[in-house]
Amino acid sequence: MKISKIKKNFDRFSLYIEELDIAENGIYGIIGSNGCGKSTTMKIMAGLMKPDSGHVDYKNLSQQDITMVFRKPFLMRDTVIQNLIYPLTLRKIKPNTDVVNYYLEIAGLQELRNQYAPGLSGGEQQKLALIRAMIFSPKMIFIDEAFSNLDLESVSFFESLILARQQSEPIMYVICSHQPSHIKRLCDHVFFMDKGRIEAEGSATEMLANHKNMLPLSYPVVF
Amino acid sequence: MNMFYIIDAEILGIIALTLRLTFLSTTIAAIIGIPLGLWLDYANFTGKNILVVVNRTLMASPPVVVGLVVYLILMRQGPLGFLGLLFTFEAMVIAQVLLITPIVCGIVYTASQRNSENIRMFAFTMGANKIQTQILLVKELSNEIFFAVITGFGRAMSEVGAIMIVGGNIRHHTRTMTTTISLLRNRGEIDQAVYLGAILMIIAFIVQMAGDFLRRRERRADENF
Repeated sequence: MKISKIKKNFDRFSLYIEELDIAENGIYGIIGSNGCGKSTTMKIMAGLMKPDSGHVDYKNLSQQDITMVFRKPFLMRDTVIQNLIYPLTLRKIKPNTDVVNYYLEIAGLQELRNQYAPGLSGGEQQKLALIRAMIFSPKMIFIDEAFSNLDLESVSFFESLILARQQSEPIMYVICSHQPSHIKRLCDHVFFMDKGRIEAEGSATEMLANHKNMLPLSYPVVF
Repeated sequence: MNMFYIIDAEILGIIALTLRLTFLSTTIAAIIGIPLGLWLDYANFTGKNILVVVNRTLMASPPVVVGLVVYLILMRQGPLGFLGLLFTFEAMVIAQVLLITPIVCGIVYTASQRNSENIRMFAFTMGANKIQTQILLVKELSNEIFFAVITGFGRAMSEVGAIMIVGGNIRHHTRTMTTTISLLRNRGEIDQAVYLGAILMIIAFIVQMAGDFLRRRERRADENF
């Protein structure tokens, strides 16, 4: 996927991305302070928002290959299991019991499979949203600050799951966060955004080491 | 006042006609109003805001005015007078549908406006097509849609002004419970009117209870709010 010369204007904010190229499978990070345009960039990339101008080249990806996990997950008014298999149902794929059980097990939701999903705790909801995004094997997953409100154990779950999946079935992840620690542990390549622009890009280690001065003073770099 | 009247064949006929009219007009209004409300939220077109305001106005339109409009359209000299529908069951259904559809549409539109963005966004990220998105939207808004329909049902059941004008309150033909109550009151047969009113309220209560039973969320035992 490649986006070029993307412009998006809001009342008090304007986004301009000269070029952002995600050419290979890997975990890409977009980092920057609140309001720098990370989520907007992601929504444009995921096809959820039309830019005012510019071009998004999906190459050989279709909408069916792309999914997104939001900071505030959306769960249907249905059971955990129905939420989990929803993307399979849409594709008329018969859920594989072993695969479903595997995901429920690793997310710690096996016992809650028949519970009403919106009644789960925040962390459980977020875990469900992530495994739901993975279960249909998309080629690209956007994760928009999904770790923001999670405890350390849940964050660790997310990171382990993504890294394990990436070992067995590499795809493209784009993770947006304002926590450098997540980015450092997960990402192969990082884009640093500030005031609606991509200011720098590179490997996570390089970026976070060399561009600390680009972060606002109030922005803690904790590894 | 003797409150214990025997439910005779005529009363049963009136109750049956009332229920048939209410269910039929609510069903038609739901079939039109639900998609219209969803579409009104989704579509972007010039004049949309005016259409929303018009719909809100129609939600509060006086039944006698709607009845009068339908009467003028269906009367012998009216544009649809050749159909010969005036003072028929069909005319009453038309008037009821005109009254209820804006209510169903308005409630569904408001609910959709409040929730549809997240639902559509989610459906999009799951790879749902347009039809699958609509199905999800209806499923997710089912409580609100149910409320819209049940509100319309209540309005239809209690309506008297419009159906009196277009139905004519003809005995054994277009006489409903509400028009009968109105007639009895005019005749001074208040006890009989109260009796019918009580039956009407009981039927409305049973229907609402049945609906509520299907939709109820159980209050958790540990809830303290």
